[in-house]
Amino acid sequence: MNIGLEAIEYVLPNTRRDLTELEAVGALETSADRLREFGFEYAFMSEEDAFGLAARATAALLQKHDIEPEKIDALFFAGAIASSHSIDASQEFLSAFNYPACKLQYDFGLLNATVAGISQTGCMGMMTAVKCAADFLAAGNAENALCVSADVFPPRAKREVIYNLISDGACAVLVRKNGSRNFLRAHRHITKGYYWDCVARRNEIIAAYFPTACNIIRETLAKARTNLDELAWVIPHNVSRRSWEILLGLLGISRERLFDENISAIGHIIAADNFINLKDAADRGKINRGDKLLLFNFGFGANWGCMLLEH
Amino acid sequence: MILLVTGASGAFGQGIVRALVDCDDIEKIYALGRRNGLDFTSSKIEFVAADITSKLTIPDKIRRELTAILHAAAETRFSAPLDAARRVNVDGLANIVDVASRCPRLNRFGCLSTIYVAGKRTGRISENELEHMAGFVNGYEQSKFEAEQFLHRKAAHLPVTIYRLSTIFGDSRTGEVVKAGAIHQALRFFYHSFLPMVPGTAKSLVDLVSSDYAIAAVGRLLCDQFEPGKTFHVCAASDAIPLGELLNAARECFLHNRPEWRKRAIEMPELVELETFELFVQSVEEIGSPALQQSVNATKYFAPQLAYPKTFDDSDCARALAGSAVERPVLRDFFPRVVKYLINENWRGPLDDTSPCERI
Repeated sequence: MNIGLEAIEYVLPNTRRDLTELEAVGALETSADRLREFGFEYAFMSEEDAFGLAARATAALLQKHDIEPEKIDALFFAGAIASSHSIDASQEFLSAFNYPACKLQYDFGLLNATVAGISQTGCMGMMTAVKCAADFLAAGNAENALCVSADVFPPRAKREVIYNLISDGACAVLVRKNGSRNFLRAHRHITKGYYWDCVARRNEIIAAYFPTACNIIRETLAKARTNLDELAWVIPHNVSRRSWEILLGLLGISRERLFDENISAIGHIIAADNFINLKDAADRGKINRGDKLLLFNFGFGANWGCMLLEH
Repeated sequence: MILLVTGASGAFGQGIVRALVDCDDIEKIYALGRRNGLDFTSSKIEFVAADITSKLTIPDKIRRELTAILHAAAETRFSAPLDAARRVNVDGLANIVDVASRCPRLNRFGCLSTIYVAGKRTGRISENELEHMAGFVNGYEQSKFEAEQFLHRKAAHLPVTIYRLSTIFGDSRTGEVVKAGAIHQALRFFYHSFLPMVPGTAKSLVDLVSSDYAIAAVGRLLCDQFEPGKTFHVCAASDAIPLGELLNAARECFLHNRPEWRKRAIEMPELVELETFELFVQSVEEIGSPALQQSVNATKYFAPQLAYPKTFDDSDCARALAGSAVERPVLRDFFPRVVKYLINENWRGPLDDTSPCERI
């Protein structure tokens, strides 16, 4: 069964700031120069809420790819931060249940979609959603699953998380059974509960990141009986380029195979990086039919995830 | 024999003094050190307060009766800047050699060194080799190399033997670690999820030796098998363990002695090329996180040595000790004992206030 990522669209806010501007307004914890050394330059900041971005990404996907809403069998909504999972939350207790996934279903007429939200895998949210969608399609008669992710940082929040520059944004991915591209060949997800406390375990998480990443990447490739040298591209999450250079060094993958253009241009769009990068790499003609693509991600929680796709 | 031991207040010095005091051939031991923290009760031992980095003034009475010197004082911190290491390991040696040159009855001068005077050399390292241009991983290695050069050039008139010690891991019988060094710190950081990578390959050999063997071997070679002009490797030699096996053994010890450690799901450190390790070290230094910096410091001054694979030949040492009661304990046998000791002793102290690692 060929389950693939058939279509991807994303939305970025209109406001873009460079590191110098962000430093001037106190939005960074590390110096702009240091973050520039780590590969960052721009961050996108939204005045629109996460649902607004999610709705625009969903609309773009359905319209550009001529998808009939009623043929969507499932909707998985992912958000890394809690505020992404409620709309217009107020003092009224019930407003906490104003879920964006439910409203997306209504607004876009996804009448046949089973709806669920994914909220506790941090930046792994969209990858978790895509895997849930693939499993959903594999388990039954469903044909199409829509995954949407959106996150918007609070207005006065810092734009940096553990030396990574954060952007707001949204992404929508159509996962299709018997699709035509981006076939999911292998997937692996590891959760390590020891690191649940992001504040107390901050340093251990940084240290654990690399060996766990190496293991999960090797395991994913082994599941697909694929060697490192068969990979055409590594499609990253947009954490610092420096950390990617270290990880690639650990794995013995050349830096030329990392699609890293968006690290500087966009920054880390929390849960959606891998899929935004996949779309851009394809649109820019970097990927050929049959290319094997490695997508790796980490999300607080603490989650490491890896996918092997065949374009 | 009337013996002067320098560095007698250090971990190895105390051990050797304690071991030699019961030796019938030794009439007197002058234990030279910076501080008298020694708890020896034997009347054979007399403490002499001195700092070898200063011009030494050993009383004439002592100088005239000395028949042997064992120079154990050293700056052994791998992180010590080269100048600081030289001040103790080369200049301090020169001061002791000056004293030795003025001891009329002296018939043996033993000097402790390190097998890592081999620096960045690779391959098989013989006991009779010193000179090389391969460079060094840290200032400690270089200063001890220069100290050996000094002995060859400036102390040819003395009956000198050099004992190159390997990294002392712990007591093979009890597991006790008197002084935690870089290797113990590295294992500690592995245990606490702070050791993401180590330079080297799974096959890189790690040469560790037990403290009881090192003390007994040096004692025997100095007192009973003294061979002026020789250099001995007191090391694991063919018993050295490949790095991959050593890390696996450590992990097994963690799991065996603290079954709940499994819940942390801590990964084995990645074994990496030096270039990637150095990029990680650079990144940690740029980030400036004290806890991460501490963990990197535990490895960056010695772990690069693993990227220069080598084996140490100890044929002369083995020959000299043959037939004696001194046998080298098998590293694979006592390694778990030492790791257990470290775990039970909470690695001899809390990790760091900036990283609230739980004790398990």
